[in-house]
Amino acid sequence: MEYVRTKDTPTRKPPLNESSLLGWLKINLFDTLFSSVLTILVLIAIFFAVKSLWIWGISDGVWIAETRRECFKINIDGACWAGVIAWLDNIFYGRYPREELWRINLGGLLLILWMLPLWLPRVRGKIFVGLSVVALYPFLAGYLFSGGEKGIFMQVMITAAIVGLAVNVANAVTGYFNRGSLSSFILRKIGKSDAPEKQQRNILLAILLIAFVAVFVWQMGWVVENVTWTKWGGLFLTFVIAGIGIASALPGGIILALGRRSKLPVVSVLSTAFIELFRSVPLITVLFMATTMFPLFVPEGFVLNKLVQVIIAVCLFNACYIAEIVRAGLQAIPKGQYEGAHTIGLGYWGAMGLIIMPQALKHMIPNIVGSFIGLLKDTTLVSIIGLFDILNILRAISKDTPWIGLHKEPLVFGAILFFIICFAMSKYSRHLEAKLATGHKN
Amino acid sequence: MSNTKTKTRQSAVGQLASAASSEVIIDLIEVNKWYGEFHVLKNINLVVHEGERIVICGPSGSGKSTLIRCINNLEEHQDGSIVVDGITLDKNLKNIDHIRTEVGMVFQSFNLFPHLTILENLTLGPIWVRKLTKIEAEKRAMEYLERVKIPEQADKFPAQLSGGQQQRVAIARSLCMNPKIMLFDEPTSALDPEMIKEVLDVMIELANTGMTMIVVTHEMGFAKTIADRVIFMDEGVIVEENEPNAFFGNPQHARTKLFLSQIL
Repeated sequence: MEYVRTKDTPTRKPPLNESSLLGWLKINLFDTLFSSVLTILVLIAIFFAVKSLWIWGISDGVWIAETRRECFKINIDGACWAGVIAWLDNIFYGRYPREELWRINLGGLLLILWMLPLWLPRVRGKIFVGLSVVALYPFLAGYLFSGGEKGIFMQVMITAAIVGLAVNVANAVTGYFNRGSLSSFILRKIGKSDAPEKQQRNILLAILLIAFVAVFVWQMGWVVENVTWTKWGGLFLTFVIAGIGIASALPGGIILALGRRSKLPVVSVLSTAFIELFRSVPLITVLFMATTMFPLFVPEGFVLNKLVQVIIAVCLFNACYIAEIVRAGLQAIPKGQYEGAHTIGLGYWGAMGLIIMPQALKHMIPNIVGSFIGLLKDTTLVSIIGLFDILNILRAISKDTPWIGLHKEPLVFGAILFFIICFAMSKYSRHLEAKLATGHKN
Repeated sequence: MSNTKTKTRQSAVGQLASAASSEVIIDLIEVNKWYGEFHVLKNINLVVHEGERIVICGPSGSGKSTLIRCINNLEEHQDGSIVVDGITLDKNLKNIDHIRTEVGMVFQSFNLFPHLTILENLTLGPIWVRKLTKIEAEKRAMEYLERVKIPEQADKFPAQLSGGQQQRVAIARSLCMNPKIMLFDEPTSALDPEMIKEVLDVMIELANTGMTMIVVTHEMGFAKTIADRVIFMDEGVIVEENEPNAFFGNPQHARTKLFLSQIL
């Protein structure tokens, strides 16, 4: 029995399969008679649902009107979007003074500007971008939003934030246009790129100091009017609470997770107790506790406003959830990774920060973002303790005299708004996952 | 048995007298270790001189991996003393970190960092522990990648490499720290047969540079080629210790004879 191949077998096109549209339809939707019938039934159901929504919202919808009564006159079967449109400013900014709205817009713009380098290719030092935005931006934004007299501490932090922002943006520009990092660019421009390292560092520090002093002097010159937190509201307030919650829940959660896994019994027990306490209580209870109980724990005469109390509660609550997610991520990292890190001389923090945590967080992106989406939606609970977040504003429309009884449209609008934001977060998380994927572990 | 041990110790010392450098670099005295109730290492005494190449073999569960993992404190010993490069291993974390920078280790499962490229795997230690600049570290990394013959893989991620390539990267990663001692914990046991040779070749080349090496392996051909001493362990004790020709040609202990007859 002898066999030697003499001819090549040509490669052929595959039979009807998922790679063509027709094949996909055949395999997934019209495979058997039963699934064909189901497909058609579902399509019919979708058609009627979409059709009635379309008629109510779009074709019969009223966009321009002065009052709800006018809406009815124009088309009684359609949605009265005019009410939502009339309230748009309130929905986005709450009762923030209209002539001061630029401050919120500027704050948002600066945040985007600050974070932009994270998405640009070729820009170095993205960790610095992330850290600086978490550590410095809140001071700048906090002052922009609330205004009033600046204390010396605020002045220093505002200056640091402005300098930090400027450095970030300049660094992003030089990086994006292939001129290297900002520091190497400056050194090249003044002809010091071959100078010893110590001299280079001194030059850069001097430039930074000059910039700091200049900005400090400049910022002393301007003051913005005080807007108390009771005037904050709408989507803006939701973003403030959720933004601070998200920015602090991740570091807080990492610390709590490491604490819970610590070999030191006191640290471990305290972290565990803290996590379990907050996780076993509903957020709404935590919020009530924060506003009624928290004042009992702080020294007399030390008054925290309700907003700060709420923000602290949201941060602690979410840090505990993130802590458990991070802990799960840490447990999924094989022991060999710790050993590999230790054998190249890394200690506990080096191994954690460079090897273990990056991998753990990467695996946990879907869960962490899921938790953040939950956080954003949970912020609507603050409406129960009387803050005018977006949900409260949407419900207030129905109590406004011209739009009295307008319930459905504002809530539908709110739902669409939340869907857009949360869907964007979810999409971004998928994008991050794909970008950071480096293959499975060995 | 104690008779055998004394004899082999003498022969090892006698052989080393002729070596250029004979400084003691690892000294284990009466080391004992338990996993719970289980006594894994029993009264281990071992002296390793600079430049020596030692192969440890024995059946699985005999404590050979545990032994070398004690040398860089991945496992803690509970009794006896371990002195590496003049520093006694104790609870002092600084000492442990220092010893780990001087002792490289290669694992059966490679333990490369999957989220970093090959080049980043190699430069991480030099940059963060040895405080080299990135340019210096990358230059050194490329030199070692050349030596393990895969410089073209520098920008790939570990999961994109074959097992043999990953293990060579792991060896290069350890070498980038310029260690004085290299420990190998069954480096070829997880590899396909045709990849074992490429890893062994790299190890033989490394041995020829005079590196102090302790290798736990079942590759007896490798032991014959490069070992100065072969140690046979069973049930937590060193059963026999001899230079390779005598070890393979004329094993003394009955347990050694049985082991060799089964694997050769």
